[in-house]
Amino acid sequence: MRAGPTQEEVRRHNLGTLLRYVHVHGATSRAELTNRLGLNRSTIGALTSELISVGLVSEAVPRETGRAGRPSLVVRPESGRVYAYALSIEVDRLRAARVGLGGRILEQYETERPPGMGVDDAVQPLARFIRQMRSSVPDDARCVGSGLAVAGMVRREDGMVRLAPTIGWVEEPVGPALSAALGESGRLSIGNHADVCALAEHARGAAVGCDNVIYLYGDVGVGAGIVAGGHRVTGHGGYSGEVGHMVVNPYGRPCSCGSRGCWETEIGEHALLRLAGRTGRTGRDEVLAVVDAAMRGDSQAQHALRQVGDWLGFGVGNLVNIFNPEVVIFGGTLRDVYLGAAAQIRSRLNAVGLPACREHVRLRTPELGTDAALIGAAELAFEHLLDDPLLS
Amino acid sequence: MAATPLLELRGIDKSFGPVQVLHDVGLSVYPGEVTALVGDNGAGKSTLVKCISGIYPIDGGTVTFEGNEVAIHSPRDASALGIEVVYQDLALCDNLDIVQNMFLGREKTSGIVLDEATMEEMAGETLRSLSVRTVKSLRQLVASLSGGQRQTVAIAKAVLWNSRVVILDEPTAALGVAQTAQVLELVRRLADNGLGVVLISHNMNDVFAVSDRIAALYLGRMAAQVKASDVTHSQIVELITGGRSGNLGLPAEKPSEFIDITPGEAQ
Repeated sequence: MRAGPTQEEVRRHNLGTLLRYVHVHGATSRAELTNRLGLNRSTIGALTSELISVGLVSEAVPRETGRAGRPSLVVRPESGRVYAYALSIEVDRLRAARVGLGGRILEQYETERPPGMGVDDAVQPLARFIRQMRSSVPDDARCVGSGLAVAGMVRREDGMVRLAPTIGWVEEPVGPALSAALGESGRLSIGNHADVCALAEHARGAAVGCDNVIYLYGDVGVGAGIVAGGHRVTGHGGYSGEVGHMVVNPYGRPCSCGSRGCWETEIGEHALLRLAGRTGRTGRDEVLAVVDAAMRGDSQAQHALRQVGDWLGFGVGNLVNIFNPEVVIFGGTLRDVYLGAAAQIRSRLNAVGLPACREHVRLRTPELGTDAALIGAAELAFEHLLDDPLLS
Repeated sequence: MAATPLLELRGIDKSFGPVQVLHDVGLSVYPGEVTALVGDNGAGKSTLVKCISGIYPIDGGTVTFEGNEVAIHSPRDASALGIEVVYQDLALCDNLDIVQNMFLGREKTSGIVLDEATMEEMAGETLRSLSVRTVKSLRQLVASLSGGQRQTVAIAKAVLWNSRVVILDEPTAALGVAQTAQVLELVRRLADNGLGVVLISHNMNDVFAVSDRIAALYLGRMAAQVKASDVTHSQIVELITGGRSGNLGLPAEKPSEFIDITPGEAQ
């Protein structure tokens, strides 16, 4: 039985805290770090030197501060030298990027994903992108691992995709398949698409400083990444946040998950396009075309947008009552639906949300846009490094 | 949310000759919030904005800025306080580039020459702080920009001067769907950066998408100023078209208040 953490453990914890701070907030002066982290100046100096010696941060004299006295050195993450590979498997797209420490996208590639593409066929282009990026990496750079975001339900422990109805995958070992295709490239962490987007927006986007966040991601399906009390809500196996499968209309349409009347059958892309008389089409451009037509006075498009906005407002009202979030972010094509039907959505939310739960809720669109999935996937990979910066 | 308004108008009256355009109008603008100013054509939105920005003198009422009563006699007074207005026509010069437009009339000088480097840096810094990624070069002529980019430049110009309150007159009118979305996100970001924003719009989606409060003018009177989390679309429409909705808004008119304007019968 030990009384408390050892000195070594405290030091490693502090190293992680400092690294995490500059990773999230970017270049920061030593003086500010001293204030923010509540450690004294010499400790900050020692921690910084240690992080410099392992090549995770660099230090420089700032340009001009305009203030009297010796300027405090500025500590910045080594974005160019420490990086992670970020991958994203989405309904109609496969994307890959190399993301530097500090969340900066250094390079990125994407290709279309035709409907019905199997796991092996999807893994090949991603592995090719990574090989391509690997060839251009500077010699002194260090890869800390890879992160993958999948638009489906992912088992936390081994990256098994249990169910991704919109992609058409059931019980597919995506993690092992990708690891095999990649060969040696360190650890691979896998997360749900909406979850990692929420992670990215929470760290450096529209939900910075908020402890209670709901990030709704919509395309054909709808999922949520939820942060409650400052922590990600993952659930027992990692599957929580499947808000698209809340049954809102028991007499509604069949859902790709096998149930009927799920929320995504009322607010997903298919619902909007069907109501607008454009059945059979899909994709962000088609959703934008409906919003555009509604703006120009097309009554069928207006009706479609209003109806989807109504259902979206009902569901958001329920979520607001359950989680009492500070901010709800509308991502994916729900961004365009929100901006085009905000009057409906707000009115419904105000009608069904309990006053105490809804009074401070802010409705926002993402700040990181489509990059959120890649930045969030990289965040999964950086997590190990930030927990213990000296672990190699 | 902030308890004290940044800008507060009370009892504003304004007449043009015999026509009284604003009757006892009050409006509160809070930092970090978007306050939407809505109303039918002729309700007095533009007049109210011109009173705030010092173009029209007010006939009665008080203007309080950060708790101090102020007198705004000219647009210069308004900008000195940190109140900037982006009008519908944007007032940009096509033959000048983005930096020149942003500093038009308020150029930075170093000695007797223009300090182009500082101006370019400040313009770039402002656009970055607004996360504007749609503009390629700061030295592009404004003539070459799209409608949304122009609106962006006009808004950036308004926040360049450490402004505290930015008033936007119909910023999304005449824009396409993608550009409307970008401008709305920009409006929201201004407030999230701590400014007090007043948004004039006829589009209820735009209003509900970004506002924290909605102020509805009806025939020159402030029908109600309500939180966006407390009202529905139809209530706002009723306030705009009838001046009241349920227990919100102006008191019902009594028949005795109507003046008989039937021709030939007046004594």
